[in-house]
Amino acid sequence: MSATAIGIIGILILLAVLFFLGMPVGFAMAIVGFCGFWYIVSFNAAINMVATDVWSTFSSYGLTVIPLFIFLGYLAFNSGIAERLYNAAYKWFGHWRGGLAIATIGADELFAAICGSNTATAATMGAVALPQMKKYNYDTRLSSGTVVTGGTLGTVMPPSVVLIVIGLQTEQSIIKLFLAGILPAILLGILFILTIVVLCRIYPHFGPAGPKVGFREKLGSLVGVLEAIGIFVMVIGGLYTGIFTPTEAGAVGVFFTIVVTVCTRRLTWKGFFSSITDSLKISSMVFFLVTGAIIFGRFLAVTRLPFMVAEFASSLPVSPYVILAFILVIYLVGGCFIDSLGFLVLTIPIFFPLGIALGFDPIWYAIILTMVTTMGAITPPVGVNIYVVKALAPEIELGTIFKSVSYFLVACIISIIILILFPQIVLIVPGMVQ
Amino acid sequence: MLFLDKVSHYLNQALIFIAGIFLVAMIVLTCANIFLRLVWMPVSGTFELMGYFGAVLTAFALGYTQLSKGHIAVDIVVLRFSKGVQRVLKGINHILCMTFFALVTWKISKYAYNLFETGEVTETLRIVYYPFAYGVALGCAVLSLVFLTDFLKVLAGSKEGEN
Repeated sequence: MSATAIGIIGILILLAVLFFLGMPVGFAMAIVGFCGFWYIVSFNAAINMVATDVWSTFSSYGLTVIPLFIFLGYLAFNSGIAERLYNAAYKWFGHWRGGLAIATIGADELFAAICGSNTATAATMGAVALPQMKKYNYDTRLSSGTVVTGGTLGTVMPPSVVLIVIGLQTEQSIIKLFLAGILPAILLGILFILTIVVLCRIYPHFGPAGPKVGFREKLGSLVGVLEAIGIFVMVIGGLYTGIFTPTEAGAVGVFFTIVVTVCTRRLTWKGFFSSITDSLKISSMVFFLVTGAIIFGRFLAVTRLPFMVAEFASSLPVSPYVILAFILVIYLVGGCFIDSLGFLVLTIPIFFPLGIALGFDPIWYAIILTMVTTMGAITPPVGVNIYVVKALAPEIELGTIFKSVSYFLVACIISIIILILFPQIVLIVPGMVQ
Repeated sequence: MLFLDKVSHYLNQALIFIAGIFLVAMIVLTCANIFLRLVWMPVSGTFELMGYFGAVLTAFALGYTQLSKGHIAVDIVVLRFSKGVQRVLKGINHILCMTFFALVTWKISKYAYNLFETGEVTETLRIVYYPFAYGVALGCAVLSLVFLTDFLKVLAGSKEGEN
């Protein structure tokens, strides 16, 4: 049997282990990668490779960025920063038709700028915004979808855990990936807002206008936005100017958030300890996802499968964009069944070299894959954000949330098409950095 | 089995507490390094210490994360099977993971022992780093123990089912 055939069988076994045993994605990739390497090379080589990869990945300085940014996100989550952001956005936009939903997206955009997790963004904003929208008689077909999809901004807007993982796995600059994510996240936010505006024009009862607020009160509410902007400017500004490494930016962000939230008495001991425990759990999960993907990638490398796929695809007499469309459909469908981060980590060893072989810019390609994978977090049956909102508002039917999300999926698809047509939107900001 | 379950529970509680201390230490160390770099000189060996702290942090949190089912898994197909089939599949899953992490523990312990025997030191601080490697081995061993406990629970569950 050829090595390539073994590679294909390895992928099929991995899928079987994932779906039929329900084994965690990171562990499944590591075990199948280990067994495949053992089959092709030898047991000793395989176990040495696994132990070396576990040790070198766990002790890599580059990966220490992960727990720090996750901790930053959880501190923001547990210290009520989101409430102040929402309050400010609500005072500025709440009196418009659909204004509370627009305020949710606006606050999502700002919260995502300090929190790198889509689930944390959806959970935080859901807890703050859903009761308000219910109070003002917003239709759940608008409110639930707004919270579910607004959370995805956390994945694209830096700092983003997904972008960190892609950067580490594909050896891209995390700083450039962070900078590349800013304009697409803003574009996505604008398209979500346009979706809300259009929906409220067609169905005015979806988002009745809220009460008007005086200009002084509006201006006063901006104080609540300052801390989030301060954290974002410090983290991203420090990275952009080269003062900090990504790990240092994470640590400084955490330090600043602790100082601000302790001084304003909004971080309790309970919130602090809960942030630590949750960060450790997520970090350990992400670390092993990366480790599993590296081990599985080594197995695939000895089978030469990724190179064969890349060679085959680049020799096809079709436009690279046709192949890109095919890849995006795979991500869209795969994201429906496997957690978005897990699916991304799983597929990067094959699809990233393929994209590079097709001549795509690696930073642009990474952002496109992130955007598509993110849609997996809001599509049934495994869309994690949907279940976060369902848990926050059990009275809303799952069917209603799915329907609500479908409106926003159109915006997601349009944003990806725009980024494919105008790659400069992604590349212009990182292009300014040497 | 109850004893093993308790041992696993308390071990993971202790390890997650230590991992939390390492997380805080990483933040303090990095911020101190930035501050001292600006006003005087950087803290020597920050990069290597951060890497080793990160290794211990991750390894010590592995078991706790598994206990709270925090590792991403795809259960969409498994949940469609009958309870009996699910139990068998879970059993296979646990035994595979337990064996794999026992092997990883053995190999990393061997590596740590080599570091200890050869007196290998870090590049900048010139300190021995085998304790960190043993720490990673311990984290993997405790994760293996969690899977063993889960496997025994599945076995006990199936016996109860037969009864």
